[in-house]
Amino acid sequence: MKRDADLCQRIERLLAMPEYQGHPLHEALGQLWQAYVDQSARLERVTHISDRYQALAKERENDLDERFRKQLRKLEKLARISDHYQRMMQDLNAALSDASKRDVLTGLPNRRHLLQKLKEESERSARSGRPFSVAMLDIDHFKQINDTLGHAAGDRVLAGVSRILESSLRENDLCGRWGGEEFMLVLPDASPDAAQALVDRVCQRIRSHAWAPDNPRTVSASVGVSTHRPGEHYSETVERADAALLEAKRRGRDCVVISPD
Amino acid sequence: MSNLTIPGSQSTPAINGDWETGVLTMSGDSYPENSFDLFNQVIDWVERFLAQTQKPLTLELHLLYLNTSSVRAVMDVFDLLEEAHQAGHEVAVNWHYDRRNERVAELAEEFLEDCSFPFSIIPHD
Repeated sequence: MKRDADLCQRIERLLAMPEYQGHPLHEALGQLWQAYVDQSARLERVTHISDRYQALAKERENDLDERFRKQLRKLEKLARISDHYQRMMQDLNAALSDASKRDVLTGLPNRRHLLQKLKEESERSARSGRPFSVAMLDIDHFKQINDTLGHAAGDRVLAGVSRILESSLRENDLCGRWGGEEFMLVLPDASPDAAQALVDRVCQRIRSHAWAPDNPRTVSASVGVSTHRPGEHYSETVERADAALLEAKRRGRDCVVISPD
Repeated sequence: MSNLTIPGSQSTPAINGDWETGVLTMSGDSYPENSFDLFNQVIDWVERFLAQTQKPLTLELHLLYLNTSSVRAVMDVFDLLEEAHQAGHEVAVNWHYDRRNERVAELAEEFLEDCSFPFSIIPHD
Protein backbone atom coordinates (compact mmCIF):
# COMPACT_ATOMS: atom_id res chain seq x y z
CA MET A 1 0.00 0.00 0.00
CA LYS A 2 2.85 2.30 0.94
CA ARG A 3 4.45 1.65 -2.42
CA ASP A 4 1.16 2.31 -4.26
CA ALA A 5 0.71 5.63 -2.44
CA ASP A 6 4.29 6.64 -3.21
CA LEU A 7 3.84 5.78 -6.88
CA CYS A 8 0.59 7.78 -7.08
CA GLN A 9 2.29 10.86 -5.57
CA ARG A 10 5.20 10.50 -7.94
CA ILE A 11 2.95 10.27 -11.03
CA GLU A 12 0.92 13.28 -9.94
CA ARG A 13 4.09 15.24 -9.33
CA LEU A 14 5.52 14.32 -12.76
CA LEU A 15 2.29 15.24 -14.56
CA ALA A 16 2.26 18.64 -12.82
CA MET A 17 5.83 19.55 -13.82
CA PRO A 18 5.78 22.22 -16.57
CA GLU A 19 8.97 20.95 -18.31
CA TYR A 20 7.19 17.75 -19.47
CA GLN A 21 4.12 19.55 -20.88
CA GLY A 22 3.66 18.85 -24.60
CA HIS A 23 5.78 15.67 -24.55
CA PRO A 24 3.88 12.76 -26.22
CA LEU A 25 4.60 10.51 -23.18
CA HIS A 26 3.12 13.16 -20.86
CA GLU A 27 -0.18 13.07 -22.70
CA ALA A 28 -0.27 9.22 -22.75
CA LEU A 29 0.61 9.00 -19.05
CA GLY A 30 -2.05 11.63 -18.27
CA GLN A 31 -4.75 9.55 -20.00
CA LEU A 32 -3.56 6.32 -18.37
CA TRP A 33 -3.58 8.05 -14.97
CA GLN A 34 -7.15 9.27 -15.44
CA ALA A 35 -8.29 5.77 -16.48
CA TYR A 36 -6.62 4.35 -13.35
CA VAL A 37 -8.32 6.87 -11.06
CA ASP A 38 -11.72 6.08 -12.63
CA GLN A 39 -11.24 2.34 -12.30
CA SER A 40 -10.19 2.69 -8.65
CA ALA A 41 -13.31 4.72 -7.87
CA ARG A 42 -15.50 2.14 -9.60
CA LEU A 43 -13.86 -0.73 -7.70
CA GLU A 44 -14.45 1.15 -4.48
CA ARG A 45 -18.13 1.55 -5.28
CA VAL A 46 -18.60 -2.07 -6.31
CA THR A 47 -16.93 -3.24 -3.12
CA HIS A 48 -19.10 -0.97 -1.03
CA ILE A 49 -22.32 -2.19 -2.69
CA SER A 50 -21.23 -5.79 -2.37
CA ASP A 51 -20.48 -5.30 1.32
CA ARG A 52 -23.94 -3.91 1.86
CA TYR A 53 -25.51 -6.88 0.11
CA GLN A 54 -23.51 -9.22 2.26
CA ALA A 55 -24.52 -7.38 5.43
CA LEU A 56 -28.14 -7.61 4.37
CA ALA A 57 -27.90 -11.32 3.64
CA LYS A 58 -26.19 -11.88 6.97
CA GLU A 59 -28.86 -9.94 8.80
CA ARG A 60 -31.54 -11.97 7.05
CA GLU A 61 -29.78 -15.16 7.98
CA ASN A 62 -29.54 -14.12 11.62
CA ASP A 63 -33.18 -13.15 11.58
CA LEU A 64 -34.21 -16.47 10.01
CA ASP A 65 -32.03 -18.28 12.50
CA GLU A 66 -33.67 -16.46 15.38
CA ARG A 67 -37.13 -17.16 13.98
CA PHE A 68 -36.27 -20.79 13.42
CA ARG A 69 -35.07 -21.17 17.00
CA LYS A 70 -38.23 -19.51 18.27
CA GLN A 71 -40.46 -21.79 16.20
CA LEU A 72 -38.50 -24.79 17.36
CA ARG A 73 -38.93 -23.79 21.00
CA LYS A 74 -42.63 -23.31 20.38
CA LEU A 75 -42.94 -26.67 18.67
CA GLU A 76 -41.16 -28.42 21.52
CA LYS A 77 -43.47 -26.77 24.02
CA LEU A 78 -46.48 -27.71 21.90
CA ALA A 79 -45.41 -31.35 21.74
CA ARG A 80 -44.73 -31.43 25.48
CA ILE A 81 -48.12 -29.99 26.40
CA SER A 82 -49.93 -32.13 23.86
CA ASP A 83 -48.28 -35.30 25.17
CA HIS A 84 -49.28 -34.30 28.66
CA TYR A 85 -52.91 -33.90 27.55
CA GLN A 86 -52.80 -37.32 25.92
CA ARG A 87 -51.46 -38.93 29.08
CA MET A 88 -54.23 -37.27 31.05
CA MET A 89 -56.79 -38.61 28.55
CA GLN A 90 -55.36 -42.12 28.77
CA ASP A 91 -55.48 -42.09 32.57
CA LEU A 92 -59.06 -40.84 32.48
CA ASN A 93 -59.96 -43.58 30.01
CA ALA A 94 -58.39 -46.20 32.25
CA ALA A 95 -60.31 -44.87 35.27
CA LEU A 96 -63.51 -44.80 33.23
CA SER A 97 -62.97 -48.32 31.94
CA ASP A 98 -62.36 -49.53 35.48
CA ALA A 99 -65.48 -47.73 36.76
CA SER A 100 -67.61 -49.16 33.94
CA LYS A 101 -66.69 -52.69 35.01
CA ARG A 102 -67.47 -52.28 38.69
CA ASP A 103 -70.67 -52.51 40.68
CA VAL A 104 -71.10 -49.28 42.65
CA LEU A 105 -72.65 -50.76 45.80
CA THR A 106 -70.33 -53.72 46.42
CA GLY A 107 -67.23 -52.66 44.50
CA LEU A 108 -67.22 -56.08 42.82
CA PRO A 109 -66.96 -56.59 39.06
CA ASN A 110 -70.37 -56.02 37.46
CA ARG A 111 -72.32 -58.08 34.95
CA ARG A 112 -70.49 -56.47 32.00
CA HIS A 113 -67.14 -57.54 33.47
CA LEU A 114 -68.44 -61.04 34.25
CA LEU A 115 -69.66 -61.50 30.67
CA GLN A 116 -66.25 -60.45 29.38
CA LYS A 117 -64.58 -62.94 31.72
CA LEU A 118 -66.98 -65.72 30.62
CA LYS A 119 -66.14 -65.01 26.99
CA GLU A 120 -62.38 -65.04 27.70
CA GLU A 121 -62.61 -68.25 29.72
CA SER A 122 -64.65 -70.07 27.06
CA GLU A 123 -62.08 -69.06 24.44
CA ARG A 124 -59.25 -70.17 26.70
CA SER A 125 -61.00 -73.42 27.44
CA ALA A 126 -61.47 -74.07 23.71
CA ARG A 127 -57.72 -73.63 23.21
CA SER A 128 -56.47 -75.54 26.26
CA GLY A 129 -59.23 -78.17 26.50
CA ARG A 130 -59.45 -77.50 30.24
CA PRO A 131 -62.93 -76.77 31.62
CA PHE A 132 -64.05 -73.87 33.80
CA SER A 133 -66.93 -73.77 36.22
CA VAL A 134 -69.58 -71.17 36.91
CA ALA A 135 -71.32 -70.78 40.26
CA MET A 136 -74.49 -68.74 40.64
CA LEU A 137 -75.06 -67.68 44.26
CA ASP A 138 -78.26 -66.16 45.61
CA ILE A 139 -78.77 -64.86 49.15
CA ASP A 140 -81.72 -66.67 50.76
CA HIS A 141 -84.78 -64.64 51.77
CA PHE A 142 -83.05 -61.40 50.85
CA LYS A 143 -86.37 -59.64 50.26
CA GLN A 144 -87.36 -60.35 53.86
CA ILE A 145 -84.10 -58.85 55.15
CA ASN A 146 -84.85 -55.72 53.17
CA ASP A 147 -88.50 -55.63 54.22
CA THR A 148 -87.97 -56.25 57.94
CA LEU A 149 -84.58 -54.62 58.61
CA GLY A 150 -84.52 -51.93 55.93
CA HIS A 151 -82.52 -51.42 52.78
CA ALA A 152 -79.40 -50.24 54.62
CA ALA A 153 -79.21 -53.61 56.40
CA GLY A 154 -79.81 -55.33 53.07
CA ASP A 155 -76.97 -53.35 51.52
CA ARG A 156 -74.68 -54.36 54.40
CA VAL A 157 -75.48 -58.02 53.78
CA LEU A 158 -74.64 -57.58 50.08
CA ALA A 159 -71.35 -55.88 50.98
CA GLY A 160 -70.54 -58.56 53.58
CA VAL A 161 -71.19 -61.43 51.17
CA SER A 162 -69.04 -59.62 48.60
CA ARG A 163 -66.07 -59.48 50.99
CA ILE A 164 -66.49 -63.20 51.82
CA LEU A 165 -66.58 -64.06 48.13
CA GLU A 166 -63.54 -61.94 47.33
CA SER A 167 -61.46 -63.47 50.09
CA SER A 168 -62.42 -67.04 49.15
CA LEU A 169 -61.19 -66.92 45.57
CA ARG A 170 -58.11 -68.43 43.99
CA GLU A 171 -55.81 -66.19 41.99
CA ASN A 172 -57.50 -66.42 38.59
CA ASP A 173 -61.08 -66.71 39.83
CA LEU A 174 -63.48 -63.83 39.39
CA CYS A 175 -66.59 -63.05 41.34
CA GLY A 176 -69.07 -60.32 40.59
CA ARG A 177 -72.58 -59.08 41.20
CA TRP A 178 -74.83 -60.53 38.53
CA GLY A 179 -77.81 -58.44 39.66
CA GLY A 180 -79.96 -57.89 42.75
CA GLU A 181 -78.84 -60.38 45.40
CA GLU A 182 -77.32 -62.73 42.82
CA PHE A 183 -73.57 -63.22 42.53
CA MET A 184 -71.54 -65.16 40.00
CA LEU A 185 -68.22 -66.89 40.39
CA VAL A 186 -66.18 -67.80 37.33
CA LEU A 187 -63.65 -70.50 38.24
CA PRO A 188 -61.03 -71.32 35.58
CA ASP A 189 -59.57 -74.84 35.55
CA ALA A 190 -62.08 -75.95 38.19
CA SER A 191 -63.68 -79.39 37.93
CA PRO A 192 -67.21 -79.79 39.38
CA ASP A 193 -65.65 -81.25 42.57
CA ALA A 194 -63.17 -78.42 42.99
CA ALA A 195 -65.95 -75.88 42.37
CA GLN A 196 -68.19 -77.57 44.92
CA ALA A 197 -65.44 -77.56 47.56
CA LEU A 198 -64.84 -73.84 47.06
CA VAL A 199 -68.54 -72.98 47.07
CA ASP A 200 -69.22 -75.12 50.19
CA ARG A 201 -66.54 -73.12 51.98
CA VAL A 202 -68.14 -69.84 50.87
CA CYS A 203 -71.59 -70.97 52.10
CA GLN A 204 -70.12 -72.04 55.43
CA ARG A 205 -68.46 -68.65 55.89
CA ILE A 206 -71.68 -66.80 55.03
CA ARG A 207 -73.64 -68.91 57.53
CA SER A 208 -71.15 -68.39 60.36
CA HIS A 209 -70.38 -64.74 59.64
CA ALA A 210 -71.12 -62.38 62.53
CA TRP A 211 -73.59 -60.06 60.91
CA ALA A 212 -74.39 -56.66 62.43
CA PRO A 213 -76.20 -56.70 65.81
CA ASP A 214 -79.29 -55.25 64.12
CA ASN A 215 -79.44 -58.39 62.00
CA PRO A 216 -80.44 -61.26 64.30
CA ARG A 217 -81.31 -63.66 61.52
CA THR A 218 -78.89 -66.11 60.01
CA VAL A 219 -77.87 -65.31 56.49
CA SER A 220 -77.47 -68.18 54.06
CA ALA A 221 -77.09 -68.67 50.34
CA SER A 222 -78.17 -71.13 47.67
CA VAL A 223 -75.80 -72.00 44.87
CA GLY A 224 -76.04 -73.64 41.45
CA VAL A 225 -72.82 -74.81 39.81
CA SER A 226 -72.19 -75.85 36.22
CA THR A 227 -69.04 -76.81 34.36
CA HIS A 228 -68.50 -75.63 30.83
CA ARG A 229 -68.96 -78.38 28.20
CA PRO A 230 -66.65 -78.42 25.19
CA GLY A 231 -68.32 -76.58 22.27
CA GLU A 232 -71.00 -75.09 24.47
CA HIS A 233 -71.70 -71.34 24.34
CA TYR A 234 -70.97 -69.76 27.72
CA SER A 235 -74.57 -68.51 27.95
CA GLU A 236 -75.68 -72.16 28.08
CA THR A 237 -73.22 -72.80 30.92
CA VAL A 238 -74.76 -69.86 32.77
CA GLU A 239 -78.28 -71.14 32.07
CA ARG A 240 -77.39 -74.53 33.53
CA ALA A 241 -75.92 -72.90 36.65
CA ASP A 242 -79.11 -70.88 36.93
CA ALA A 243 -81.25 -74.02 36.61
CA ALA A 244 -79.14 -75.69 39.32
CA LEU A 245 -79.64 -72.64 41.53
CA LEU A 246 -83.44 -72.93 41.07
CA GLU A 247 -83.17 -76.57 42.05
CA ALA A 248 -81.23 -75.60 45.21
CA LYS A 249 -84.00 -73.12 46.09
CA ARG A 250 -86.61 -75.81 45.46
CA ARG A 251 -84.80 -78.22 47.77
CA GLY A 252 -85.20 -75.77 50.64
CA ARG A 253 -82.32 -73.31 50.13
CA ASP A 254 -78.95 -73.09 51.96
CA CYS A 255 -77.44 -75.78 49.76
CA VAL A 256 -75.33 -76.33 46.65
CA VAL A 257 -76.60 -78.13 43.54
CA ILE A 258 -74.24 -79.27 40.79
CA SER A 259 -75.62 -79.30 37.26
CA PRO A 260 -75.15 -82.73 35.64
CA ASP A 261 -72.30 -82.84 33.08
CA MET B 1 -66.67 -2.42 19.58
CA SER B 2 -68.22 -5.85 19.37
CA ASN B 3 -68.71 -8.87 21.57
CA LEU B 4 -67.62 -12.35 20.62
CA THR B 5 -70.09 -15.13 21.39
CA ILE B 6 -69.53 -18.71 20.32
CA PRO B 7 -71.77 -21.27 22.03
CA GLY B 8 -70.02 -24.39 23.28
CA SER B 9 -70.57 -27.96 22.14
CA GLN B 10 -69.31 -31.34 23.22
CA SER B 11 -66.08 -30.81 21.27
CA THR B 12 -65.73 -27.02 21.41
CA PRO B 13 -65.48 -24.62 24.33
CA ALA B 14 -68.03 -21.90 25.01
CA ILE B 15 -66.32 -18.61 24.13
CA ASN B 16 -67.38 -15.20 25.29
CA GLY B 17 -65.54 -11.95 24.64
CA ASP B 18 -66.95 -8.88 26.38
CA TRP B 19 -65.58 -5.75 24.72
CA GLU B 20 -66.99 -3.45 27.41
CA THR B 21 -65.37 -5.18 30.40
CA GLY B 22 -62.36 -6.56 28.52
CA VAL B 23 -62.96 -10.13 29.67
CA LEU B 24 -62.58 -13.13 27.39
CA THR B 25 -63.93 -16.40 28.82
CA MET B 26 -63.37 -19.88 27.40
CA SER B 27 -64.88 -22.95 29.10
CA GLY B 28 -65.03 -26.65 28.31
CA ASP B 29 -63.24 -29.22 26.18
CA SER B 30 -61.65 -28.36 22.86
CA TYR B 31 -61.14 -30.90 20.09
CA PRO B 32 -62.91 -29.26 17.15
CA GLU B 33 -63.03 -30.61 13.59
CA ASN B 34 -61.55 -27.38 12.37
CA SER B 35 -59.75 -25.58 15.13
CA PHE B 36 -58.38 -22.87 12.80
CA ASP B 37 -61.88 -21.65 11.93
CA LEU B 38 -62.80 -21.58 15.59
CA PHE B 39 -59.67 -20.00 17.03
CA ASN B 40 -59.13 -17.53 14.17
CA GLN B 41 -62.24 -15.75 15.44
CA VAL B 42 -60.70 -15.62 18.91
CA ILE B 43 -57.33 -14.43 17.64
CA ASP B 44 -59.00 -11.77 15.47
CA TRP B 45 -61.04 -10.53 18.40
CA VAL B 46 -58.00 -10.34 20.71
CA GLU B 47 -55.94 -8.56 18.01
CA ARG B 48 -58.71 -5.99 17.43
CA PHE B 49 -59.22 -5.44 21.14
CA LEU B 50 -55.51 -4.89 21.76
CA ALA B 51 -55.17 -2.61 18.73
CA GLN B 52 -58.29 -0.53 19.22
CA THR B 53 -58.47 -0.04 22.99
CA GLN B 54 -56.19 0.78 25.85
CA LYS B 55 -58.41 -1.13 28.28
CA PRO B 56 -56.94 -4.05 30.22
CA LEU B 57 -57.71 -7.50 28.82
CA THR B 58 -58.29 -10.49 31.10
CA LEU B 59 -58.68 -14.11 30.00
CA GLU B 60 -60.77 -16.33 32.25
CA LEU B 61 -60.06 -19.92 31.22
CA HIS B 62 -61.97 -22.97 32.38
CA LEU B 63 -60.49 -25.36 29.83
CA LEU B 64 -60.26 -29.12 30.38
CA TYR B 65 -59.09 -31.20 27.44
CA LEU B 66 -57.30 -29.55 24.49
CA ASN B 67 -56.21 -31.36 21.35
CA THR B 68 -52.91 -30.43 19.72
CA SER B 69 -54.21 -27.73 17.39
CA SER B 70 -56.15 -26.17 20.25
CA VAL B 71 -52.98 -26.12 22.37
CA ARG B 72 -51.28 -24.32 19.50
CA ALA B 73 -54.10 -21.78 19.19
CA VAL B 74 -53.98 -21.04 22.93
CA MET B 75 -50.19 -20.58 22.68
CA ASP B 76 -50.75 -18.14 19.79
CA VAL B 77 -53.21 -16.14 21.88
CA PHE B 78 -50.68 -16.03 24.73
CA ASP B 79 -48.03 -14.79 22.26
CA LEU B 80 -50.33 -11.90 21.36
CA LEU B 81 -50.79 -11.11 25.05
CA GLU B 82 -47.03 -11.29 25.65
CA GLU B 83 -46.39 -8.85 22.78
CA ALA B 84 -49.05 -6.47 24.11
CA HIS B 85 -47.65 -6.76 27.62
CA GLN B 86 -44.14 -5.90 26.35
CA ALA B 87 -45.68 -2.85 24.69
CA GLY B 88 -47.23 -1.73 27.99
CA HIS B 89 -50.79 -2.97 27.52
CA GLU B 90 -52.30 -4.41 30.70
CA VAL B 91 -53.19 -8.08 30.19
CA ALA B 92 -53.75 -11.07 32.51
CA VAL B 93 -54.72 -14.74 32.42
CA ASN B 94 -56.66 -16.58 35.11
CA TRP B 95 -56.63 -20.32 34.54
CA HIS B 96 -59.28 -22.01 36.69
CA TYR B 97 -59.26 -25.71 37.51
CA ASP B 98 -61.15 -28.22 39.63
CA ARG B 99 -59.13 -29.08 42.74
CA ARG B 100 -59.82 -32.78 42.08
CA ASN B 101 -57.98 -32.62 38.77
CA GLU B 102 -54.43 -31.47 39.56
CA ARG B 103 -53.34 -32.49 36.05
CA VAL B 104 -55.05 -29.42 34.60
CA ALA B 105 -52.99 -27.22 36.94
CA GLU B 106 -49.77 -28.93 35.78
CA LEU B 107 -50.76 -28.24 32.18
CA ALA B 108 -51.47 -24.59 32.93
CA GLU B 109 -47.97 -24.42 34.49
CA GLU B 110 -46.51 -25.57 31.21
CA PHE B 111 -48.37 -22.88 29.29
CA LEU B 112 -47.17 -20.30 31.78
CA GLU B 113 -43.49 -20.80 30.82
CA ASP B 114 -42.26 -17.90 28.63
CA CYS B 115 -45.17 -15.68 29.75
CA SER B 116 -44.11 -12.60 31.70
CA PHE B 117 -47.60 -11.09 32.10
CA PRO B 118 -49.69 -11.89 35.23
CA PHE B 119 -50.78 -15.52 34.97
CA SER B 120 -52.73 -17.11 37.86
CA ILE B 121 -53.68 -20.76 38.25
CA ILE B 122 -56.72 -20.84 40.48
CA PRO B 123 -58.27 -23.94 42.07
CA HIS B 124 -61.97 -24.23 42.83
CA ASP B 125 -64.07 -26.92 44.53
